[in-house]
Amino acid sequence: MVMSASPNDDRTSGTGRYLQQSKIQAALDHAQDLGASYAEVRLMAITDSSVAIRDGKLERAIPGQDIGVTMRILADGAWGVHSTTDVLSLPGQVESTVKLAKAVAARRASKDRPVALAEVPILENEVHWIPKKDVRNTDLDTKLHHLMTLHDSAAEDERIVSVTCGWHDEHLHTELMTSEGMNRTWSFQRSLINATVTGRDGGDVVSYRTRHGGEGGLEVIEACDLGELGRTAQIATLRLLKAERAPSGKLPLVADRDLTGVYIHEALGHPCEADLVAAGDSCLDGKLGQTIGNSIVTVVDDPTIRGGYGAHPIDDEGLDTREKCLIKNGVLTEYLNHRETAHHFGIAPNAGARAQDGLHHPLVRMSNTMIQGGTHNDLDELIEDISYGVYACGSRGGQVDTGRGSFQFAAQEAWLIENGELTKPLKDVSVSGLTLQILKDVDGLTQDARLAAPGFCGKGQTVPVGDGGPIMRISNALVG
Amino acid sequence: MLPNDAVERIGEGCKRIGDLCKQEGISQWEVVAFQSYGHQLDIEAGKISLAAGGGEGGYGIRVVEEGRFGYAYLVDASSATPAIKQALDVARASPSIEGFVLPSAQEAAPVEGLCDRRILDIGPEDLLEQADAVLSEVASLDKRAVVTGGGLGVGATASAILSSEGIESSGITTSHGLGVQVSIDADDELTSSYEGDSGRQLLADVPPCIANAVHWAQVTRGPIEIDSQPQDTPVLMTSEGFSPLFSMVVPTALRGDRLVRNESFWSGKEGTQVLASDLSLIDDGRMDGGKSASSRDGEGVPSRRQTLVENGRLVGSMWGTRDAAQQVAEGRIEHAETTGNAVRGGHQSPPGIGCSDFTMTSKNGGHSQDALLQEMGDGYIVHSVMGAHTANPTSGDFSVTTSTILRVEGGQILGPVKQAGLSGNLAKALSEGVRLGDDVRVQGSYSSGSMHLPDVLMLQGLRVNPA
Repeated sequence: MVMSASPNDDRTSGTGRYLQQSKIQAALDHAQDLGASYAEVRLMAITDSSVAIRDGKLERAIPGQDIGVTMRILADGAWGVHSTTDVLSLPGQVESTVKLAKAVAARRASKDRPVALAEVPILENEVHWIPKKDVRNTDLDTKLHHLMTLHDSAAEDERIVSVTCGWHDEHLHTELMTSEGMNRTWSFQRSLINATVTGRDGGDVVSYRTRHGGEGGLEVIEACDLGELGRTAQIATLRLLKAERAPSGKLPLVADRDLTGVYIHEALGHPCEADLVAAGDSCLDGKLGQTIGNSIVTVVDDPTIRGGYGAHPIDDEGLDTREKCLIKNGVLTEYLNHRETAHHFGIAPNAGARAQDGLHHPLVRMSNTMIQGGTHNDLDELIEDISYGVYACGSRGGQVDTGRGSFQFAAQEAWLIENGELTKPLKDVSVSGLTLQILKDVDGLTQDARLAAPGFCGKGQTVPVGDGGPIMRISNALVG
Repeated sequence: MLPNDAVERIGEGCKRIGDLCKQEGISQWEVVAFQSYGHQLDIEAGKISLAAGGGEGGYGIRVVEEGRFGYAYLVDASSATPAIKQALDVARASPSIEGFVLPSAQEAAPVEGLCDRRILDIGPEDLLEQADAVLSEVASLDKRAVVTGGGLGVGATASAILSSEGIESSGITTSHGLGVQVSIDADDELTSSYEGDSGRQLLADVPPCIANAVHWAQVTRGPIEIDSQPQDTPVLMTSEGFSPLFSMVVPTALRGDRLVRNESFWSGKEGTQVLASDLSLIDDGRMDGGKSASSRDGEGVPSRRQTLVENGRLVGSMWGTRDAAQQVAEGRIEHAETTGNAVRGGHQSPPGIGCSDFTMTSKNGGHSQDALLQEMGDGYIVHSVMGAHTANPTSGDFSVTTSTILRVEGGQILGPVKQAGLSGNLAKALSEGVRLGDDVRVQGSYSSGSMHLPDVLMLQGLRVNPA
C-alpha cells in the first residue's frame, strides 16, 4: 500500500523529522545482528511545484508531495538495497535486504575485493540552508507574474509563433541514520524558470531555450532580469531564422561560459567519477598526478557554491560537502568519490555521493563544475588572432563515452569567426572530441569564471547541476 | 513480487479519493494510481555490484470545472483532502477551455501480452542466476571483454483509473529488462558498446543483445585511416543507432498541438508528401505485448492503432482530450478530438500527448544488410550516436557524434573509424532515398513510447565528419 509517514512536528522551521528514530535505530541494530557491517536509512521528502504557461495562458500548475526512503545494507562486502514510498514498512525489510547483500557477496570471485567504506566523521546534527524567501510560501499569482514577464518579452515579434515558459521549485528535506551513529538532517531549496521560444519564417522553423535558476527560494528568480532573459531568447530565435548551417571540420572553437561548462562537465567531469574509474570505464584510470591538460586549465567541482544549481550542504552519505580540485594547472589531482570508491582507491572521501531522490541509492556525481579563469580580458581578445573559426553559445546538452574518452556537446547558436571578427550567425553546431586530446588544446580563457545556466545530469539517475567557467578557446576542435 | 491484492488496494484508494471529490461537489474528477514493485541488479567491473528491490507509487488527481483544470499528486490516499483543495485552487486560477470535459466511458478491449505471470514469480536469486549467465556468456565470446556497467531487472506495476464520467479500469503490467556496457581494454585500446533489451515478457536468459555488445566492441577496434574531410554521404544506421535520433524528432513532430501551432517541421503539410513515398508511420497503442501498449491511454480513452504517415503522405496526428479542445477553442483547427494518445510519466504527471508502440515500414519491404550495403556503395554504417538528445525536434536538425562507425567502400566494410560527427536534418534525410532493413528490433525512446525499427539506409541528406 502506498502511504507515507508524517513529520513529527512542524517542518516549516526545518526541525521536523519524518523518520521514527527509535524504530529506525532498532532496524539498523537488527541489520547488524544479522551480520551487516554497515546499514543506513536515508529518507527524502520533496515538496515541489511546477507551473507552465503557453502563449501567455496558464497551461498547468502542479503542486506535489513526494517521499521516499532507501535502506542500504553492506554485508559480507556486498550491497543490498531496499527502496520504498511506504516508509513505515522499512523495518520489515531488514532481513530480506541483508539476505540480498549476502547473496551478492556469495557470487564474488576470489580475485574481487569486497566492498568496504572509507572512514568518515560521525556527526549528529541538522543543517538547513534557509532561503531568503521560502518557495513554499510563494503563491501561484507570484509565479504567474514572473512567468508572464519572461513570456511577454520573448514573444514580441510576429515571427515568434510560440513561447512556452516553465517554473519549478522544490524544498528538499533529507534525513540519514546509519549503524555507525550518523544522524543528520538537512534541507535546502531550488528554484528554476525557463522558456522555449519557437520562431518561424516561411518554411524555416527554429527554437531556442533559456533557463535561470539555482539553489535558494524565490530570491533566485527575483535576482534575474526576466525581461532581459526573454528579450535575449527572442533575439537569438530570430537570429537563428537567418543563420546558416555551420561549417564542418577541425576548427578553432571559442565557447561561451554555458558551453564551457557543458564541455568540462562531459569531457572531464564524468571520466573523473571514481565509480566509473573503478569499473574500468574511464579514460582517466591510472592518470592521477599526470598532466592531461594545458597548464592554464584548472577545474573544480564545488557543491558549496551557494546559489549554484548543484549546490547542497551535505552529500547523500552524510558528509559535509567541499570543493574538489579535479585538475590543477593541467595535472589530474583528484577523482570525485564516495565512501566506497575512496576506500577502493585508498584516498580521502570527498563527499561526492548524490542520489536523485529518496528512492535511489547514491552514486558518485558532480555538483557545480567549473573551469577557473585565465588571463584573457574578453571575447575580443580571444578571437583576435583566429582567421577562421566558430564562436558557439548556449547549450543544448552533451554526452560522453567515459571509457573511450570521447564526448559531444551541442550549441544553441553560433557565429562564424573570420579574421578576428564575428561575422555570420550559424546554427546546428556541435563539437566532439577526445578528453585526453582536447584538454591540451584549450589555449585561452578569459578571467571572469562563474556558473552559467542551470542544468541536469543523467547517469541512470537525474540530478541538478551547475556548470560554468570563463569564455574558452580550443585551438583545434571537431565541429559539425 | 506484487502483493496479491495490489490492484484492489489502489482501486480502493481511488474510490476513497473519488468520494472526497464528490463530497467537495466537484463536477468532473479523475484519479489515477500506480504501484510498482521490482528487483534489480547492478553490474560493474565484471561483477554484480548491488542488488536492490522495493516499491513505489502514488495517486494523481485531475479536477475539471467549467473547462478549467487542476492537478495535484500525493503518495498517501489518506492525505488526499489538501491535494484535492490544491487541485481545485489551480483549476479556479486557470483559463477556461470551451468544450473541454473529461472523456466519457467507452468499452476498451483488452490488449494481450502485457502481463507475463512468470515475471511475478521472479525473485532476486533468479536475477542473480541470469546475471551469472550473462557474465559467463560475455567471457566465453571474448575473454578480453568485460561488462563494465549495466544491470538487469524485473518489475510489475498495478495501475488504476477512476473518473466521475464512469471510467473505471485497472490492471497489472510486467517488465523485464537488461542492458550491458561491454568493454575490451587491450593493447592500449579501449572499445566498448552498450546494448540492451526489454519487454513485457520474460526475456531469454542471455538475449541476443549480449552477443551484439561484444560484437560491436570487437569490430570497432583498430581504426583505419581515412580522408578526414567532411562529406555528404549515404549512411546505414542500425536500428540501435537510428532509434534515438528518430524518437527524439519524429513522434514529437506528429503531435496534433504542435502541428497546428506551427511548432512542427510538418506544420501546414497535412495531406502532402513528407516522407519517401514508400514509407509509412504507424502508432499502435494496441500492439500485443507492446512495451507501451495498453487497452486505455493515460486518461482512460480506448487505445487504437493509427496510421500517421501513409506511403509518405501525412494523414494523421496524435491528440489527447484537453489539447484537442484547447486548439479548437483557440481557433487553430476546426475540429480535433482525442486519438487515444494521452500519456503520463506516472502519478506525478497529468496527461500529455505521446506515441505508444511506433513503427516505420516500407511498402517495398525490408532488405538484407548485404543488399543495403551493395545499394550504398560507398558510405558508413553507424551503430550508436552520442548526443541524440541534442537533436532539435522543432526543426529536425541534428549534429551528433559516433564512435561505433564503420567505413564502407564498394559495398564492403573496410573497417572502423575512430570517431566522426554525423549531421543533417532527419525530416529531409527521410524524404527520399530511404531503404529499410529486414530485421525490426524494439528500442526505447527519448520522448514517449517504444520504437519498432529496422536498420535504415539513408542515401541523401547526411554529412559525416571523420575526426
